[in-house]
Amino acid sequence: MRPLTEPETKVVFDKLANYATDLKTLITPLEDGDRYVFRLNHSRVYYVRLSIANMATSITRDALLSLGTCLGKLTKTGKFRLHITALPILAEHARHKVWVKENGAQPFLYGSNVVKAHVGRWSEDCPEHSGCVVYSMADVPLGFGVTARSTAEARRLDPTGIVVFRQADCGEYLRDEDTLFAG
Amino acid sequence: MAPTRTVKNKHAANGSGIRNSKSAKNPQTDSVIKAKKNQPNKSHIAATGLKGRPKISEILKKRKQRVYSAKELGIPELNKITPVGVEKPKGKKKGKTFVDDRESMTTILALVTAEKEGQIESKMIKARQMEEIREARRVEAEAKDQERKAKFDETKDQVRKKRKREKGVRDDDVNGFKSAMEEGTRAMKPKGKKKKVSFAAE
Repeated sequence: MRPLTEPETKVVFDKLANYATDLKTLITPLEDGDRYVFRLNHSRVYYVRLSIANMATSITRDALLSLGTCLGKLTKTGKFRLHITALPILAEHARHKVWVKENGAQPFLYGSNVVKAHVGRWSEDCPEHSGCVVYSMADVPLGFGVTARSTAEARRLDPTGIVVFRQADCGEYLRDEDTLFAG
Repeated sequence: MAPTRTVKNKHAANGSGIRNSKSAKNPQTDSVIKAKKNQPNKSHIAATGLKGRPKISEILKKRKQRVYSAKELGIPELNKITPVGVEKPKGKKKGKTFVDDRESMTTILALVTAEKEGQIESKMIKARQMEEIREARRVEAEAKDQERKAKFDETKDQVRKKRKREKGVRDDDVNGFKSAMEEGTRAMKPKGKKKKVSFAAE
């Protein structure tokens, strides 16, 4: 386990900034003097309290399975891929939001894209190909994706047209159970 | 040049095959013949060898050929580029430099955020412009459609008026005779030439 290097930090922040605003709050010190840091173990990036990260140094790399919140994985080509486990952080600071109706929640959780017919409402002024967090109508975050059309264009779209390309959904906790935290 | 002899059998050539014969007593050794044959050859090689051999001074000259450095030749700097991975800066510490303090993280975050905001802003502006263009096109297309429709209606009205006028003219006829003539009712049709059918004579 080690802290991130400069390029790695940049890549991680870059990806997070696609989905979330106000990232400064992620690294601001807490009231008890502690703060959150980013740690890398087995090419996975974890967002964890510094006190816990320090404690985890006593565990060997191989023995350490996970700590804090797993944000995603750094690929061998140097890119960063967000995992569904980062959803609580993204949902808190989401830049753009899409709410899906009851009938659209299940298809989304089974891994399909969001079509226009399933959209309950969406945030205004959302450009195309920008990250957005998908919520149910009860404001429960279900996953995140990338907008296929801007809000204005999506209004003219037919009901079967794709509005959001899925990137991750909560169904992955079951579907990718074996590979989500290790391997 | 000595005449060449073809020898089929080396031993048979030296004698007639009889032990005490003259030719058997005074055998001509091969070496002598060879020596005779080779004499002019040896001299030839010696002569040529002296001429062909490079002189010591020439060898020394060749060895002392000057080697120019890259600076002296004035080769552009670009030719010296080494790949990033291969080049190892001297005096720099080996290994990764971690970012763990808050200040450097904040700096990186500020840079990334500014860049991202810029990108999103430009995207939004672009989308708005595109939307405006689309709207303008739509309005233009609607106007054109309206114009076409109006023209069509006008033409339709003209045709209708024309028909009405024609009807009015017909009403002016005395007893409707002329119009009846034009329409060609059977009773009032003027008789023209009667059509005849004839067969060709045989």
